[in-house]
Amino acid sequence: MTLLLRTMTAVCAAVLLAGGLSVSDARADKIRIALAETPSDELAAFFVALDRARANGLEYEWTAFSDEELAIQAVLSGQMDIGFGTPYAAMQKSKAPIRIIFQLSKLKFFPVTSKKYGKLEDLDGQPIMLHSRGGGTDSIANVIEEKVGIKFGTRSYVPGSANRVVALVAGQTDATIVDLSNKNKLMKQHGDKFNVLPMFEVDASDEALFGNLDWIKANEKDVEIFVKALLSVYRDMAKDPTIIRRETNPDGPIGQLPKEILDELDAFYTDAVEGGLYDPDGGGRKAALADMDWYSRAGQLTGDPSALAIEDFWYLKPLDAAQ
Amino acid sequence: MPSRSFLLKMLSLAIVFGAWEIAGRVPVSYAFPTFLESMRALALLAIDGTLFTAYAETLRPLALGVLISAILGIALGLWIGLSARFDWLFSPIFVVMQSAPLAALIPLLVMAYGIGLTSKVFVVCIMAMPVIVLNTASAVRNTPSSLTEMARSFLGSRLDVILKVIIPAASPVIFSGLRLGISAGFIGAILSELKITPTGVGDIITYSRSIADYASMYAAIFSIILLAVLFLNLLEKLELHLFRGNNRGYVTD
Repeated sequence: MTLLLRTMTAVCAAVLLAGGLSVSDARADKIRIALAETPSDELAAFFVALDRARANGLEYEWTAFSDEELAIQAVLSGQMDIGFGTPYAAMQKSKAPIRIIFQLSKLKFFPVTSKKYGKLEDLDGQPIMLHSRGGGTDSIANVIEEKVGIKFGTRSYVPGSANRVVALVAGQTDATIVDLSNKNKLMKQHGDKFNVLPMFEVDASDEALFGNLDWIKANEKDVEIFVKALLSVYRDMAKDPTIIRRETNPDGPIGQLPKEILDELDAFYTDAVEGGLYDPDGGGRKAALADMDWYSRAGQLTGDPSALAIEDFWYLKPLDAAQ
Repeated sequence: MPSRSFLLKMLSLAIVFGAWEIAGRVPVSYAFPTFLESMRALALLAIDGTLFTAYAETLRPLALGVLISAILGIALGLWIGLSARFDWLFSPIFVVMQSAPLAALIPLLVMAYGIGLTSKVFVVCIMAMPVIVLNTASAVRNTPSSLTEMARSFLGSRLDVILKVIIPAASPVIFSGLRLGISAGFIGAILSELKITPTGVGDIITYSRSIADYASMYAAIFSIILLAVLFLNLLEKLELHLFRGNNRGYVTD
């Protein structure tokens, strides 16, 4: 019995040790990217950039998390090197040295309503359906309230723009905020029944690429290759959105998506570029300032917005080097 | 002089919370607060009333689901245990329910029952009911035959045998099923609030996570565990009160 126990302990220790070694091995070679969602049409441009970076010698592996918060936590705890999201609150509150290096997309969301309402002012006191408390659409609602001088009624939360469109079509809500592609889909199918309310321009980030500052500095070369690849894709895409479909690797995670989705890629990126979803300069100082203003209004950042410093949230060196 | 077991319990709590405090101070992760920070956040949540409004919301599906699961579960379990035919018909359903990956089934539930209270009650029931039913059924089936034979030889009716022999004999296992079921129900309630729509305690968890207020997030998680432990203790007291002979030293506290 004692022998059995001893053998088992030894085996366990050996397995743990081997596991630990292989993890540290992988760490040295590849950068680990935490995606905030499973690969979808919205990530096609990102994967094209990854392919270009790989051609320049970047080794990477990616893991898809089921939501942005998990991706942020994985980077915070050091299990991932680079993540997706807008971790402004995490950067300010936790003592983690996390910095953003590239703006992947802007917060382009659209208030859509039934024909009952024609402008944002009409929504004063009316219930609205949003993604989640403290999430992006919630912050948009906060800023609308502040800028337009209204106060929404009860806020209900349903995650996912597609789900909110379903709720809107089914009549479960009269007002919601959805993303560009779902707004376009909705207006194409039921344009006669719903309104898109005109809204002010937003330059703040929806998704940004961030990493641990110590890690970024220790891997400066890899990060520069990566940012350069992203910037080149974003610039080429701004000129010709169809390059995403053409450059998508048929054996990659996007190339493996159903044909219906791939066929929509050109339309998706043409709309997105037209709608200003992607900044061909990767955000940088302009985005940092817009973000600090936006996320302060939205309640994610606390304190006086003018006292916030770009360096506490962004690390601009790789982007500047790539310009 | 406090009893030895009380002191031991306090010691084990001190070790766990001490380890938490140390892990938070190291820190294991930037997103992991210390025990004291979490307790401070819990006190703040309690003082400004957020915690109580949240529980008013969370307890609705939880209480409804647990109540339905307990009553229906014990009734079904008794029936399954008493009738071989019924066993054959219903046991498999509960075995499947018990092993089904619930989080993956939630979208189906939402499709069928919407995003309201019904879906959440369903999630609680799916988590809680199988353990209760299966434990009750096996307890009833395994009543010592000498006891039932004795009851019959004393000319007890079928109802007498069930009420005076089978149920008291099965009660320890029924109650352990109830305890397991109810703790699974707590898990179900939070799971539904994280996966369907964030309300109540689930809302505190997701919201504090999204604004990186990790201390409040862990405070909310801690509070639900505390509530579950308190409730299970209450249940044990109830069991001791109802069936005095059942005191076999449980581990809850």
